[in-house]
Amino acid sequence: MNLRFRSRKEQLHEELRSHLQMDENARVDRGQSLQEARAAARRDFGNVDLVEQVTRDQWGWRWIDESLRDLRYAVRMLRKQPGFTAAAVLILALGIGCNTAVFSLIEALTLRNLAVPEPQELIRISFGPPGTDGPLSGPMFDRLRERQSAFTDLFAWTNSPMALTERGYSRPIQAAYATGSAFPTLKLKPRLGRLLQWSDDEADNISAGFPAVISEAFWIDNYRGDTAVLGQKIIVNGVPATIVGVMPRSFSGITVDYAPQVVVPFAFDLAVRGKASGRFRPEQTFLFAMGRLQRGVSFKQAEANLTAIAPGVLQDSLPAHYASIPYLRNGRLSLSPGGRGSSPLGALYRTPLWTLQVLVGLLLLICCANLAGLQLSRALSRHRELMVRYAIGAERARLIRQLLTESVLLVLVGASGGVLVAQWMASMMVRYVEQSDFPMFLDLRPNVTVVGWTIGLAALVVLLCGLLPAFNLTRFKSDAVLRGQRGSLGSESRVTMQLLPVQVAFSFLIVSLASVFAVSTAKLLKQDPGFRVAGVTLFGVDMERRPEKGEARLALYRNMLEALRHSPGVERASVLAVRPLGEGGIEESAAAVEGNHNEMQHLFANIVGPDYFKTAGTRVLEGREFTGHDTASAQPSCIVNRAAVRLLFPEQRSIGMHIRSAESKPLHTNCEVVGIVADAKYLSLRQSAPPTLYLPYEQLPSVDPGGFITLSRDSGSAIAAFKSALARFAPDTPLLPPITMQRQLEDSIGQERLLATVSLILGAMALVLTCLGLYALENQRVTRRTAEIGLRMALGARPGQMLSEVLRQGLIVLAAGIPAGLLLALGAAKFVRSLLYATSAFDLRIQLGVIALLVAVGLLAGYLPARRAAGVEPMAALRYE
Amino acid sequence: MARYQNRIELLQGTLDLLILQTLQWGPRHGYGITQAIRASSGEVLQVDTGSLYPALHRLERQKWIAADWKVSDNKQRVRVYRLTARGKRQLLSERSRWEQLTDAIGGVLNPVKRESGA
Repeated sequence: MNLRFRSRKEQLHEELRSHLQMDENARVDRGQSLQEARAAARRDFGNVDLVEQVTRDQWGWRWIDESLRDLRYAVRMLRKQPGFTAAAVLILALGIGCNTAVFSLIEALTLRNLAVPEPQELIRISFGPPGTDGPLSGPMFDRLRERQSAFTDLFAWTNSPMALTERGYSRPIQAAYATGSAFPTLKLKPRLGRLLQWSDDEADNISAGFPAVISEAFWIDNYRGDTAVLGQKIIVNGVPATIVGVMPRSFSGITVDYAPQVVVPFAFDLAVRGKASGRFRPEQTFLFAMGRLQRGVSFKQAEANLTAIAPGVLQDSLPAHYASIPYLRNGRLSLSPGGRGSSPLGALYRTPLWTLQVLVGLLLLICCANLAGLQLSRALSRHRELMVRYAIGAERARLIRQLLTESVLLVLVGASGGVLVAQWMASMMVRYVEQSDFPMFLDLRPNVTVVGWTIGLAALVVLLCGLLPAFNLTRFKSDAVLRGQRGSLGSESRVTMQLLPVQVAFSFLIVSLASVFAVSTAKLLKQDPGFRVAGVTLFGVDMERRPEKGEARLALYRNMLEALRHSPGVERASVLAVRPLGEGGIEESAAAVEGNHNEMQHLFANIVGPDYFKTAGTRVLEGREFTGHDTASAQPSCIVNRAAVRLLFPEQRSIGMHIRSAESKPLHTNCEVVGIVADAKYLSLRQSAPPTLYLPYEQLPSVDPGGFITLSRDSGSAIAAFKSALARFAPDTPLLPPITMQRQLEDSIGQERLLATVSLILGAMALVLTCLGLYALENQRVTRRTAEIGLRMALGARPGQMLSEVLRQGLIVLAAGIPAGLLLALGAAKFVRSLLYATSAFDLRIQLGVIALLVAVGLLAGYLPARRAAGVEPMAALRYE
Repeated sequence: MARYQNRIELLQGTLDLLILQTLQWGPRHGYGITQAIRASSGEVLQVDTGSLYPALHRLERQKWIAADWKVSDNKQRVRVYRLTARGKRQLLSERSRWEQLTDAIGGVLNPVKRESGA
């Protein structure tokens, strides 16, 4: 546009020149002298520029022309003040970037629809006690699918890591089981070949070979996108399947952070594991189920349909002993919108992320206030220029437009910088969200929603920090225009004065919340979890599919432990079923046989090997820990922690007492307490240690513990030792990624660490911005009052007096802002309470610390201008005017 | 602006008609159009360049005339305007409107003469 436009302008110029030239030539031909002819031609023609202008108006492009001129002028103005421009762009990039980063995470985790046609028609079907949305059991799903009439079809889906064997080497991949109805119900079209259909999921058809579909990314990585992939064999969980198709690129599973590389029908699991498969087991609830509403059926109608059939469905699908299992007894079927799929991470991180979103929103407001302040502080130079332009006839609207153009340009450059900041920050935040067991799949590429958000923010910033100064700077009293240029300058510093306390208040809130979050996280990290963190490494293996069962499997574990203990670098090793902070556990109901309380108690059970407590670093308080002698042939033994002792044997010696299981299918029937250990946390650092019952794995040959724990100087040597032991005794067994206890602990408090780290960064930014804002104000004041200060110095004022006077002005701003900030923090306390651990949301000591910090920042900001004021040479200042 | 006062101000819309009419006899450049109008009006109508060029560019935007760059007899690049097919139709309708208008005004000014003529 610009080029074409310019050339058209030049053409017009040439056209008019040629007109003049021809007139001149004609007059010369008629006998006038060249000078006469030229003058006459010009006289007749009139004002060339004016003619050009009115002709151009006919093009209807005037506003473009003016905008381009505004833009050129804006570029020139910004380049003339590189300091201001750099500061403004940096402030905007940080403000917009942080907002975009937090929002892109919120969008990816909680707002994004599944990449399927008409996602809003998808409804999730859940089972669980009221208020929860747990998965279904296989029979529940089948009965529902048979009897429902609101959906076109239902499907079930279960994400499950599997072992992929390539060239004799196994590695874990992300995979999923799906019912044959999944892809038709999702309305997905294959990228290549075909997707799974109902007949693939019927056990009778499976003899023809197991079909599998793969993701496009897996197809490209593993098969270089070769179309010959169709029909190729792929070995998952040790069984060959046939690739029949590739899933479309946009589809990455139905769980936000889990993108399956391979999807196989449930019939596969059934065929491979037989009775061990949970597909038709009434007590195993693990199916994530969804349905697609029929055309014209509303959510309410679907709910009514479900309410009608639910009792029958549950009656025909729950296991016989369901009444003894509270979860099943209290379970209800319920519907919820399913267009976004499932997002366990989203549920976990929703509150921390929205909290951060509020904080970055405040930061953006601080940025705007700062920028508006900066723009106004340029007023000294701009005001004169604007007044001159106003005086020679520019309309006020035109001047405002010019100033707004500058703002838009700044914001555009700032927002582009913001995109870079957002990328950096989002990837940093993802590291906190990510669990290290499995690489998290989170598509954070900018999409329409996120880009729209950024543009909206940018527009808001233009309005907030462009319009206000623009109106303020162009409010001239016509008589003041040519009179004193400084007379009308009071207003903009008044505005800055009003903005600064607001900045201080917001900064106070951000810093105060950041401190509270940091203190809470530090408390979580500092507390004694009851186990050792340094040097401990955890391993998970899937031994269940190995041929060794019973005694043979115990021998395998014994061999592994023996090999590990003799490996270089490994000090201790043991076996465990439930890893601390691993988000899982075994529920156990038991009663103390000789205890005071004979009624049933709920306990948390773990199955461990000999030497476990020494390896994990949990102190044995009384009695002994498990040894190699606690085998099936020995007296059944168990160990309890302090919490369990308080529950079962509150008033007597517990060693030698017996505990009877109250489960219908007990792990043990009756065991003797041989030791008491210190409390160790299991589910999370936030909860206190559950009453725990430890059982020796050798006395429970039917249960595969599936986990090892080692103590070593460094995790590298332990991992190497483990891999070599596994290769020796159980080759081809899928090994989950080993994890250090340190990492496990950090993973388990990802929310807290994310909140604390990011809010601390935001707090630091807010402080820097406030410091800059205060500095700019003080500096401008001292500049303006140089003459006055000089005069007072000449009359005998001491430099110290000037110093404290300037500093005092900064403190006035703080005195206005800090109480407001305190009130805000008090108001916010209610909302953040649930995010804190053992920390008051409005801790007076923390607030006092924040006040001290802000006062220090205020003094720092005022120091340089104050020094300048104190150093004013009376004579130099008087000559200045 | 004072120096323009001795010229006859053209009625709104008539300049467009004059330009279209002038171009009916062949393509011309802007200067040529002023000369032609002046000559054919017996030196009475002087077209102000401040009106001519906006009008030319307006007519061009309405696609009634089109412009090309040509080299004139004395080796000068000039912008030459010509009538388009749409312009010809526009000329016809504007001409008939103009004739109606002059007839009507003539009738108002000279009722007797008109009656005697009839």
